[in-house]
Amino acid sequence: MTTWTRRQTLAAGGAAGAAATLGLKTAAAQGAYPNRPVTIICPWGAGGGTDATARIIAAVMEKELKQPFNVVNRTGGSGVVGHSAIATAAPDGYTLGLMTVEISMMHWQGLTELKPDSYTPLALMNEDPPGVQVKGDSPYKTVKELADAIKATPHGKLKASGTGQGGIWHLALVGWLTAMGLKPDHVAWVPSNGAAPAMQDLAAGGLDIVTCSVPEARAIIEAGKARSLAVMAAERNPVFKDVPTLKEAMGIDYTTGAWRGMSGPKGLPKEIASQLTAAFKKVNESAEFREFMANRGFGVKWADADGFAKFMDEGNKAMGVAMKAAGLAKG
Amino acid sequence: MQLSDRVTGLLVVGLGAAAAYAGSKLPPVPGQQVGPNVFPMVVGIGMVLCGALIALGVGRHFEEEAQADLAAHSDEEAPPPVPWWIAGARLLVPPGLLVFYAVASDFLGFLITAAIMVAVAARALGASWLITVGMAVAAPIFVSLAFGKLLRVPLPPGLLPTPW
Amino acid sequence: MNVYVEAFALVMQKDVLLAILLSAIYGLVVGSLPGLSATMATALLVPVTFYLSPIAAVATIITASAMAIFSGDIPGALLRIPGTPASAAYTDEAYAMTRKGQPELALGIGLWFSALGGIAGTLSLMLLAPPLAEIALSFSTYEYFWLAFLGLMCATLVARSSPVKAIVSMLLGLLVACVGIENPAGTPRFTFGSTDLLGGIEPIPALVGVFAVSEVMRAMMTAEPPKLPHRRFGSILRGQLELTKKYVAPQVRGNIVGIIIGVLPGAGADMAAWVSYSMSKRFSKTPEKFGTGHPEGLIEAGASNNASLASGWVPSLLFGIPGDTITAIAIGVLYMKGLNPGPTLFTERASSMYALYIIFILANIIMIPLGIIMIRIASKVLRAPRSAIMPVIVLLCAVGSFAIGNNLFAVLTVAAFGVFGFVMERNGYPVAAMVLGIVMGTMVEQSFVTSLIKSDGSIWPFFSRPIASILAAMTIAALLWPVFASLLGWWRRSQAQASG
Repeated sequence: MTTWTRRQTLAAGGAAGAAATLGLKTAAAQGAYPNRPVTIICPWGAGGGTDATARIIAAVMEKELKQPFNVVNRTGGSGVVGHSAIATAAPDGYTLGLMTVEISMMHWQGLTELKPDSYTPLALMNEDPPGVQVKGDSPYKTVKELADAIKATPHGKLKASGTGQGGIWHLALVGWLTAMGLKPDHVAWVPSNGAAPAMQDLAAGGLDIVTCSVPEARAIIEAGKARSLAVMAAERNPVFKDVPTLKEAMGIDYTTGAWRGMSGPKGLPKEIASQLTAAFKKVNESAEFREFMANRGFGVKWADADGFAKFMDEGNKAMGVAMKAAGLAKG
Repeated sequence: MQLSDRVTGLLVVGLGAAAAYAGSKLPPVPGQQVGPNVFPMVVGIGMVLCGALIALGVGRHFEEEAQADLAAHSDEEAPPPVPWWIAGARLLVPPGLLVFYAVASDFLGFLITAAIMVAVAARALGASWLITVGMAVAAPIFVSLAFGKLLRVPLPPGLLPTPW
Repeated sequence: MNVYVEAFALVMQKDVLLAILLSAIYGLVVGSLPGLSATMATALLVPVTFYLSPIAAVATIITASAMAIFSGDIPGALLRIPGTPASAAYTDEAYAMTRKGQPELALGIGLWFSALGGIAGTLSLMLLAPPLAEIALSFSTYEYFWLAFLGLMCATLVARSSPVKAIVSMLLGLLVACVGIENPAGTPRFTFGSTDLLGGIEPIPALVGVFAVSEVMRAMMTAEPPKLPHRRFGSILRGQLELTKKYVAPQVRGNIVGIIIGVLPGAGADMAAWVSYSMSKRFSKTPEKFGTGHPEGLIEAGASNNASLASGWVPSLLFGIPGDTITAIAIGVLYMKGLNPGPTLFTERASSMYALYIIFILANIIMIPLGIIMIRIASKVLRAPRSAIMPVIVLLCAVGSFAIGNNLFAVLTVAAFGVFGFVMERNGYPVAAMVLGIVMGTMVEQSFVTSLIKSDGSIWPFFSRPIASILAAMTIAALLWPVFASLLGWWRRSQAQASG
């Protein structure tokens, strides 16, 4: 045991590493990327919406590129851990990740240094705009009536929820209120552990408004315990065709949403990146992906690498403005 | 590690006071009357009060009853007579091995790390060399098959990747 | 009637039955491994369900979670290491029975009453889903606050030590729950600049640390204990029928409490077990026997946690609101398989719904034979040398906690809580109470703070809403009872001293 020195250990490790790279090189000579399994990091837990989206993308990619795509959930730190795992992975195309809207929010709060431009964007796959939900037997039948009621009530009287303090749906509310010319906290925000408990509290009569994505509210709306008055999107949701957009209902052109997109660590080789983007485009257009997303009520969205980068950049700036207005940004 | 109630009570008081103080320093959040500082302060103050009660020996008689009860049907033996520093080192083996796993598994890989863990723990518990070696070989393979293969937990390959 | 036939046909598919059998074995094994909880058993199944037909996929989740909740009792009873937080409430009781030489009775109770509770919960799901769902929707944060508060008070009841120390342990748990950014204000607290602490400390690694690792540490300190008297492991089901007859009231109470707590989103099997165990002690004619290996509390809590599991599906299926962490994962699987939760699931896809009921019943029935086999295998652990078992437990603690989020930080958390739990236990601070605090902490703070935000700082709604007022009265009564009891005891003692 004592003769096994640190140097020898390192040498052994180096040899093993060299063997591995050697193996890789011969394989690479035989076939182009990808020639071994690819890992997709999901920064959120198993069973959630992001996890499901990652898994359907992986399943279709597997058929597309003929290599296993394994989804690995890296949770912790409210998404920070998983997002930094994507950013710090080796930029060889064998570790990718499904990023979520939080990447354009967390750095404003001073929770991480990572920003949208810390990655190689590959493809935008999904966006879910928030809806404005009220209780099933609420007196407000249209979003206009609700908006008038909001304007007529004193500051802080009405309560809204949908996610935690400073979460995406909180900022959606802030953006809407600001667009109406009101103060960002004119409707008080009640933090909750996600959309489901908020919808439950809405039905229990504890809240006036819930802003969360329509799929998250769908089951309880179908049960007649809540109603959706408008969506903060450019177009109506095909599942809820009767719910107008904010622009249609009250002429306010305010849209936002929670999105999910594929990306890799910064410095991904150009050929691999463009190959992946092309494959993701096929996934996005595939019947399997479309059917799955429609089933869950998730919105399908597409943008290629450049479009995704631009999309994130605009979203990032808008988030900064909204978060500063709401007093949520640090510094 | 068995301390008097006075010591643990005062430790609780100290921890509670620190929590309450650190909690009180947390900034308020705009639009919330009850900020993030309230809960740690309530918990901290509760700990200070209860810690003081413990230090003063309140509630002691419940424990005496329970201990008498336990002693009545207990087969626990007194610790073997070894020097305190050996006992202390042995005590820290389990948490130490977990730290070792966290630090080393990425480099050494799952199989090697797990084998070392099992072997060290078995020896520390006084297992024979036969059992030690047998367990150190069998347990990592079994766990890696069950978790890595069946449940798709990404165990690190490290220096000795699993052949499956 | 046609729907039932259709549902039956859906379940009686080869792939579904195979899925039930395999996931039953899987659930039993994973639940019985220290360091792996029922929630994790379910989470690890998600990738597998991806390749299954819809009914088979849901069947795996239902079966595996029911089995895992039961088999979490096994390491608790045999090694004093609870397999799931739901078992933590009565681990000491079950272990005391093992030390009295009745391990088969303790595990038999767990198995038999888990199965009965599971069936009771399923019946409630079949017959009472709409009214139960109404209960779930009448709970606002005010009611949740009282519920969480009542849950916390169980800490002093389950521990056989000084109530003051139990409260301190519980407060320590609440303090641990403060760590991270997942608080109502979204402000990082006690993170010391660490990214890993931002998400807070999860209950599972903490539980594994304070129970499993500290148990191994204790083993390091003591000599190998004398073998339990070598004898045949007795019949597991013998005596359960008599117990069923003898303890009708605790059992029924356990089922009802389990069903109600299960239906409430956010409060799951863990809380059901705690509340039922302490209710059992409070209403028992012989509370002094609790903690010494007495079956009564085990019956009530064992029935309760499995009943809650089935009723937890009510809000999930009707409104897509998870009843606990297991159904939160199950909802994701339901959506993925096109069985979207909502009232239409009960009308348009009634046959699928009935198929779920049948799977629930089936799972609870096959739990008994498979459970017996599992207990027989697991009981070998009592004969194996400790120096062979404990190293494997350490390894499982590492792998299990890593698998939660594929994050090595969880392994460090386990190590830290192992040391912490060991020191606490040595000094008479019950670690189970701390686990309770960690599990409930977020709910207490969340419900309290959000209630105050909603009421603009007034505490009036905590007492004025009908259900809240009932819960408040119960809490205050429970709060004042020990004061009254200890005054009474003090008075009696001083009387006795005066006369003696």
